Amino acid sequence: MPDFRIEHITRYTYPSPVRDSANQIILYPIHDEYQEVIRQELHITGDPVVDTFIDYYGNEVGTFTYSQQHTSLTISSKLSVTTRQRPLPGNDIFPEQQWEDLKRLSQMVPYIDFLKPEYFDGIKELQAIVKSERSKEDTPSQVALRFCRYVYENFEYVKGVTTVETTMDEIWKLRAGVCQDFAHILTIMLRLVNIPARYVSGYICTNRHHTLRGEGATHAWAEAYIPDYGWLGIDPTNNCIANDTHVRLAVGRNFLDCSPVRGVYKGSSDHKLEVAVSVGYEDEAHHGSFLQEENTKAPDFKPVDDRPKNSYQQYMEMLQQQQQQQQQ
Amino acid sequence: MQESAYFKEYHPISGVWDEMYGDAGIRAHYTKVIEYLSRESSDDLTRKEELAKRLFMSQGITFTVYSSGEGIEKIFPFDIIPRIITADEWSFVEKGIKQRLRALNLFLKDIYDNQFIVKDGIVPIDIIYSCPHFLREMYKLQVPYNIYVHIAGIDLIRDHDGTFYVLEDNLRTPSGVSYMLENREITKRLFPDLLPQCGVRSVMEYPSILYKNLLSLSPRQISNPNIVLLSPGIYNSAYFEHTTLARLMGVELVEGRDLVVKDQKVYMKTTVGLQQVDVIYRRVDDEYLDPLVFNPSSILGVAGIMGAYRKGNVAIVNAIGNGVADDKAIYIYVPEMIKYYLGEEPLLKNVPTYQLGNEDERQYVFANINKMVVKKTNESGGYGMLMGHAASEEETEKYKKEILKAPRNFIAQPTISLSAAPCYIQGALHPRRIDLRPYALCGPDGIEIVPGGLTRVALKEGSLVVNSSQGGGSKDTWVLA
Repeated sequence: MPDFRIEHITRYTYPSPVRDSANQIILYPIHDEYQEVIRQELHITGDPVVDTFIDYYGNEVGTFTYSQQHTSLTISSKLSVTTRQRPLPGNDIFPEQQWEDLKRLSQMVPYIDFLKPEYFDGIKELQAIVKSERSKEDTPSQVALRFCRYVYENFEYVKGVTTVETTMDEIWKLRAGVCQDFAHILTIMLRLVNIPARYVSGYICTNRHHTLRGEGATHAWAEAYIPDYGWLGIDPTNNCIANDTHVRLAVGRNFLDCSPVRGVYKGSSDHKLEVAVSVGYEDEAHHGSFLQEENTKAPDFKPVDDRPKNSYQQYMEMLQQQQQQQQQ
Repeated sequence: MQESAYFKEYHPISGVWDEMYGDAGIRAHYTKVIEYLSRESSDDLTRKEELAKRLFMSQGITFTVYSSGEGIEKIFPFDIIPRIITADEWSFVEKGIKQRLRALNLFLKDIYDNQFIVKDGIVPIDIIYSCPHFLREMYKLQVPYNIYVHIAGIDLIRDHDGTFYVLEDNLRTPSGVSYMLENREITKRLFPDLLPQCGVRSVMEYPSILYKNLLSLSPRQISNPNIVLLSPGIYNSAYFEHTTLARLMGVELVEGRDLVVKDQKVYMKTTVGLQQVDVIYRRVDDEYLDPLVFNPSSILGVAGIMGAYRKGNVAIVNAIGNGVADDKAIYIYVPEMIKYYLGEEPLLKNVPTYQLGNEDERQYVFANINKMVVKKTNESGGYGMLMGHAASEEETEKYKKEILKAPRNFIAQPTISLSAAPCYIQGALHPRRIDLRPYALCGPDGIEIVPGGLTRVALKEGSLVVNSSQGGGSKDTWVLA
């Protein structure tokens, strides 16, 4: 029953003042029997009122605006979380029965949302891989772990080669990326064999004995739905079950449903982003350095009327958007 | 009755319902107009036609055609001969639309809440969840009075025996109502005596009913809430309509950049500072409304508006997420919805429709494609359609390939025979195909439909496509008392 202390800081700095920023944060850990939030302190530049609601996937989402001119915006979340180990799925149900159950679930809410593999050029290739990796006698959880190992072994963990905007096609060609990309591919593989798969964002906590990939930033992994068990967390970046060393913030169909910090503002399109996540055990001295340059994917943060384009291009884009609005 | 030169040449199209001409000659409700026209020389009518054109031009009543290659702003062609609907026909249409809208509203409430209709297996779940306009952001979101469709344009057509059918429901940003109003204004000037003589019911209350409804949605209980019309901007095809409606209702015409969200409230930037906005009649698509939640590259929206909407601090008209109810694949289930939610038999019929996502139906449609009209489920305005009987083999094959890529996004309907009405074309009356779009307004007091609507007409001989983007025009629509 580890108690973790997590500090997650996101800081945007702008070369010239920006204003009217509207933001959405998904930084509130999920509450359930395996995860308990003891304390959370949220500090945001300008002390805005954060309004929270529960989204379609059950995540707690906060929104706030900051309309005054500013040159930096810092969102800091300090957490104390207790996690509990969850027993793994047993093998006491016949595999055929489990696959039958999954077939039945495929036309039910919420599973239907987690079964559509997105289309990309390499899907045929991936389909063949999925077929060869899977043996007929496997249970869904065995298949999920096999796929997890496949991603771990066949994709290289390289920071900085992908961004939020990198498409699946590019990731597929690169055969490399960070935790977001690993989780992304795993969800597609699982969906191809009709196992409902969710994308999960959260934190990975330092193991007392060895370090894990994905520390120092927000982490991402996948969850597979196992009949008579529920959602099983699988971390393809570390080739392990996501259990009591993983703190879950949000679940969704993909990264976009779970992006921890997202915002839109008016002003300079240029900005610098720094993210730091440090995790420690409650009972030990805090360690970890803050505000390292962000290595993994940057959260979405976009100027609303000042994309990196010249004035003419902006005008043409506006013209096009105005015309696109359907008047039925 | 005196047969003028116009009628010797009028040959109703065989096998098509003619609004004016029945088996026994001219229908009773057209006689007064015909008598009047018979007294006018063809020169007189041509002069009236010229006057109408000048009025449209001088008032800037135009629309924009995309991808036509020519000067894209055009006047909406107007035919001076009104289309006439009897009191009985109207009373049926009115009841039918009200019934349909009550069911569609209940459907939207249900689909974004309990989803009973899906649980009971009436509407297949994958049709809902594969619809790009089913917005999970709307799930469990409370909208004022549970009204989603405040403004609807329901397209009706008449089969060869005169039966009315619903061709499509427009529940997101229905347009064209300004033409209904302008057509009436112009007809008043062309035939000033005729309207009262015939007992034509007025449509001019439309803006005041809409305004009354918008007012009733204000979350702040104040005497003078701020209502705005949010337009995409001057390059939008319906910008004329946006300005007309804002002027007629006396509300502010704004663009996204005029609004800002602070602490879950929407404000309008004015010369005297920020003013809170209570009700937004928007003509911007869902996807562009809030760059924070939907399309992040939208320049037309207001960042954070979804939060204000969720908190109930601003009312948005029409509601967000309505596209799941006017998707053409979901249209198929509207008669079932009426039975399910209201326990009534549908008054207005649907056109038989094939969902190309179903293997059997797709094969049937492919085998009979020259008798079919194939449409994309999420497009309107006549864009992206295949008219099977008119398309070349090459076009058909190309379209089939397109369908196979995403069959769920296509439906097919047998080519329907639209009714015909007389049009004044080059000095004579000729039958041309028409449809009818009444505009229904839904407020806390119920559904109101001004007696009339927009009659669109396919001015090209033999054409069945009435969309203005595809060479259609319009007529004034008279509902008799």
